[in-house]
Amino acid sequence: MPMKIGSDEFKNRVDKGIRDSFMRSAVASAQDGIGQRRQAAADELGNWEEWRSHGEEIRQHVLAHLDYYLELLSENVARRGGHVFFAQTKEEANEYIREVALKKKAKKIVKSKSMVTEEIHLNAVLENAGCTVVETDLGEYILQVDDHEPPSHIIAPALHKNKEQVQEVFTKKLGYKKSSKPEELAWHAREMLREEYLTADIGITGCNFAVAETGSICLVTNEGNADLVTALPKTLITVMGMERIVPTFEEMDVLVSLLTRSAVGQKLTSYITVFTGPRAEMEADGPEDFHLVILDNGRSNILGGEFQSILQCIRCAACVNACPVYRHVGGHSYGSIYSGPIGAVLSPLLGGYDDYKELPYASTLCGACTEVCPVKIPLHQLLHKHREVIVEREGKAPISEKLAMKAFGIGAASPGLYKIGSKIAPTAMNPFTVGDKISSGPGPLKAWTEFREFPAPNKERFRDWFKNRAKVDHE
Amino acid sequence: MKVSLFATCLVDLFQSNVGKATVELLEKLGCEIDFPESQVCCGQPSYNSGYVKESKEAMKRMIETFEDAEYVVSPSGSCAYMFHEYQTIFKNDPNWEHRAKELAEKTYELTEFIVDVLKVEDVGARFEGNVTYHTSCHMTRLLGVKKAPIILLNNVNGLRMTELPGKEKCCGFGGTFSVKMAQISEQMVDEKVSHIEETEADYLIGADAGCLMNIGGRIERKGKPIKVLHIAEVLNSR
Amino acid sequence: MMKNVIQNRDEFLNQIAYRLGRERLITPIERPQWKYRPQIDVLKNATQDELLAVLKEQCKKIHTSFCVTELKNLPSVLKDVVSIYGGGPIVTWKDERFSKWGLDMFLKEEWESYEWDPIKEEENIKIAEKANIGITISEITLAESGTVVQFTDKNKGRTVSFLPAAYIALIPKSSLVPRITQAAVKMREIYHTTGQVSSCINFITGPSNSADIELKLVVGVHGPVQAYYIVINDL
Repeated sequence: MPMKIGSDEFKNRVDKGIRDSFMRSAVASAQDGIGQRRQAAADELGNWEEWRSHGEEIRQHVLAHLDYYLELLSENVARRGGHVFFAQTKEEANEYIREVALKKKAKKIVKSKSMVTEEIHLNAVLENAGCTVVETDLGEYILQVDDHEPPSHIIAPALHKNKEQVQEVFTKKLGYKKSSKPEELAWHAREMLREEYLTADIGITGCNFAVAETGSICLVTNEGNADLVTALPKTLITVMGMERIVPTFEEMDVLVSLLTRSAVGQKLTSYITVFTGPRAEMEADGPEDFHLVILDNGRSNILGGEFQSILQCIRCAACVNACPVYRHVGGHSYGSIYSGPIGAVLSPLLGGYDDYKELPYASTLCGACTEVCPVKIPLHQLLHKHREVIVEREGKAPISEKLAMKAFGIGAASPGLYKIGSKIAPTAMNPFTVGDKISSGPGPLKAWTEFREFPAPNKERFRDWFKNRAKVDHE
Repeated sequence: MKVSLFATCLVDLFQSNVGKATVELLEKLGCEIDFPESQVCCGQPSYNSGYVKESKEAMKRMIETFEDAEYVVSPSGSCAYMFHEYQTIFKNDPNWEHRAKELAEKTYELTEFIVDVLKVEDVGARFEGNVTYHTSCHMTRLLGVKKAPIILLNNVNGLRMTELPGKEKCCGFGGTFSVKMAQISEQMVDEKVSHIEETEADYLIGADAGCLMNIGGRIERKGKPIKVLHIAEVLNSR
Repeated sequence: MMKNVIQNRDEFLNQIAYRLGRERLITPIERPQWKYRPQIDVLKNATQDELLAVLKEQCKKIHTSFCVTELKNLPSVLKDVVSIYGGGPIVTWKDERFSKWGLDMFLKEEWESYEWDPIKEEENIKIAEKANIGITISEITLAESGTVVQFTDKNKGRTVSFLPAAYIALIPKSSLVPRITQAAVKMREIYHTTGQVSSCINFITGPSNSADIELKLVVGVHGPVQAYYIVINDL
């Protein structure tokens, strides 16, 4: 599987998540803090809904004309002296990048944060080819130093770790001797990484947006690591999901604005880098050689179908930060590098239902994700659509559930059956009823009553009351 | 004004007091109430679980049941929303699309109906107590009813409202989610209950039977001295 | 493998067209008339003074020091700021405006100071890396976000603003525009007029920072730890 992490069953992962009290409080405060900042940044504009609609129309237009824009992008990158490799699979992408590394005799590679390279497990491929791969985003760096722990959040990958844990990792692996203050930890990382940038042979980045008209790549960070990754090594490789493209700088403006406000509540992040091809003549910094790898890896299968709108995603993680389920289970519970609502929709599409069939059910369909999405992806509807596909096309629902739902469907559709069933309910529930509640129910009620009371059916149904009342009135 | 009550199966079976309060309240406001006997369940539990085909028969029965109604009013935001969702479900179905649309156009959640259709903001209720209000997700986000319940509650004599912290967060009900993902549901409802406790309210009020059954069931199990009421019961008290 | 500059394109794009249920698009697509354009309303009709006030306010939020000066006082103001940051070594772009604004001599006399020089090739990077302060000039300044926009060329190295510990931006007041929208329009204009786009356009909004450890903001991670915007009122 492309972006799979770990081999635990879903239920076990969730249990583990729920028991991790530090992670849960970190996630809760991140959700509350980022959520408030996001809301303030949206409200401040006064016409956020218009912004969202604009974001949506841009993304929909691009997806509908994706082949055209990718062709234009590749022409413009080539015209500026860059190489473009279209990779239909992760294997093709990894192999191409490996060959570039071998050809350049690269020993050290610095990377700025990229979900798509996580998706294709690029680091492992390069390490097997004998390269040292250094993640430069502070969060990713911490995870990498800690034996390649997977990220738990799209924009705050090390969210699940507290500063003492980071201190311990740095002490053990990097000979760090100072305190657990975030400032001191970050400074240590700065010193370690500065040397890496200056001595790296290749820089690898992801891509926030590619600009078709000019062949430019736009990268958004707060740390400035993408600037150094794109400025210092002689060879630069950018890996992009094929849908991350805009027509011109003017649409880039809108999507960058939506991204930074939705992701972190900032008007713009500290560094936004828009580079085009390798360095120009006589320039002393920037790459001499530039490669753009455009990745499909299952995305084209989503095009043209009922899930196409998920490709509108700009990876801001606003849905993750709004999700009440993510809040309690954390990122690793999703078993995929893409967590939260976006992960629950995207992972089954890219990785298949066998591994990710539970994810669409890990939602109350509360719609919080849909409400915050800056490009108006109907996330909760897509989660529902997955359930429909799992039940009706994939046939992957449990048989007991199928039977129950079938019975429910017949019962609910038949006023006569419904009436009889609802009438005998109090009697049927009698053995389980104490007073006016059921504390330990049978069947599906068992899961309910493990931690909640369930009301006993009314002795007199509402409909009986209404009928009797009418009779009394008329008499 | 003639109102056809869509009581919902939860109210019919488990919370008949909510149905009674709804009827009495609407009558006080001058409505004539009718309860179409052939109403069943709106199909949401099976529909949300992905059983779209299986749910459609129940939906069709509901469309037929309320075909002649002038207004359809439901004391549950989620179930009222489901009637609206029928339009999407029967889209491109030549026999049902039009009928589903007609049903959606005349279906209202109770408080929305009182404020937007009856144009009443003060129902003349009196209710002594410290309360907090749970804004159900389907009602606020999907149906878009946010202000009506608050307007009505703020005009209840004697009622002291404290806003619920994290009010926009789901309580963890989610229909079959509550049993299918019980371990997660438990965490969600626990957080909701602790937020309710923070307000020091004596009553939790809501407008959705499902959420109230979930939160109420947890409050009761934990033995907390907080009473759970449907908004119809509060608005109907004098 | 690198013989072909573009590889595997047709197969890849055909698959996309197939999935979209149509033939490959071959004729150029007009840029659509968008239904919504909320971005043009932000700070619409604001005067330069109003934009300046917005910039000043925004600087508080991005951990950036800010001052306004007349051109004649620029040397002494800059001198103070450099002193606050602990003096040289300093690295600047090779830009005639530095001498035009009377900064050239003073920078060289007071502190160890280097000018980016294309002839020196990668020696420049070593200089920038050792510098305490990098000084550049903003080409376009975005009031809403407090952002300095720079266009790389052979005389204007990218790393001048990233490698030194402190960063100073000289901002002609006339470079102020409402937001990134106007910069994007300008960037397109340049591209359409010259057929070229700078190899790197940097949008810099205050110093480098990270909240990756317990979401606590740390200022100064990879790039500059401190940033100062000096607005030149009469330019």
